[in-house]
Amino acid sequence: MSLMALREQLNGLVNSMFLEGLLDDQFEQLQMLQDESSPGFIAELITLFCGDSERILAELTKLLDQAVVDYQKVDAFVHQLKGSSSSVGAQHVKLACVQFRQFCEEHNKEGCLCALNVVKHEYYLLRGKFDTMLQLEQRIQAYESKQQI
Amino acid sequence: MSMEEVEEAREEGSHGSMFEGGVEVRVLVVDDSPVDRRVVEGLLKRSGAMFQVIAVDSGKRAMEVLGLTEGKEAEQPTVDDPKIDIILTDYCMPEMTGYDLLKAVKEQSSQKPIPVIIMSSENEPQRISRCRAIGAEDYLLKPLQTNDVLRLRDYVRPTALSPKTGTKRKIAIEMMAENSGSERRPCLAGLAVA
Repeated sequence: MSLMALREQLNGLVNSMFLEGLLDDQFEQLQMLQDESSPGFIAELITLFCGDSERILAELTKLLDQAVVDYQKVDAFVHQLKGSSSSVGAQHVKLACVQFRQFCEEHNKEGCLCALNVVKHEYYLLRGKFDTMLQLEQRIQAYESKQQI
Repeated sequence: MSMEEVEEAREEGSHGSMFEGGVEVRVLVVDDSPVDRRVVEGLLKRSGAMFQVIAVDSGKRAMEVLGLTEGKEAEQPTVDDPKIDIILTDYCMPEMTGYDLLKAVKEQSSQKPIPVIIMSSENEPQRISRCRAIGAEDYLLKPLQTNDVLRLRDYVRPTALSPKTGTKRKIAIEMMAENSGSERRPCLAGLAVA
């Protein structure tokens, strides 16, 4: 695939993520922070976000598996995930966390379990697209490096 | 292995020669979220406003960087030759919150304690008042924007502009306390007031 085709594919993917609401303005702001002095900024941020999110989702799964749920701890983790998803522009994940917190407030275990599934669904959907995004970026960078030689 | 993450980076402003010879502002960023630390660091470096960023993951680590321990003041005065010019801290952190850190910094007997800006995703008027009541210079809503970080320089003024040439020089920074002037307005409900 040519360099132009790769770039078109990447742009198309990112645009579709904006149109579907997976990403919001915040991600666009972050894209503007990437430049020649920090070319891997977005990739680094996505990697940090994914690592942190999966850690939090694992903790939430454990907490909600308990007979007696510590809703304070659950809420603290959901708050963290809401914060980081907001910071990277992961809109659907953020909104799912908002819902989740409401169930925490109500001490509604069933609601929390449902909400956790929604958050996981939204996160893994986003993560799949992020993976594709990063792969395309790597291929583009490899192409550009070859051209410079 | 310690969970501590202390990052120091020097970055020239993105406006190139406009900031050559300018004075770097040393910002201590305190946030338990690695994502938020990186975002804030990116904003600071890219703002073109000559920030040197030191990022830590907890209030406890921040106290170590500042040379403060519980119940003790810094052994060396921070006013004349501060290691840190301004602190940008998250509010919600485990063990030691941003509020606790703010209190510890402001309780220093120094006449000019380091300016502290609070960051939070929650737009709670009571929380904002609490922070301001004990001396927070500003309260910024997350996620931070470029305009937010540019405001940080308003709270720090260099006494003399030393060109950034050759080897490092110690720069005397005078904290400028903004007394509810037009340059210092709270950032509430996501509205950054110009």
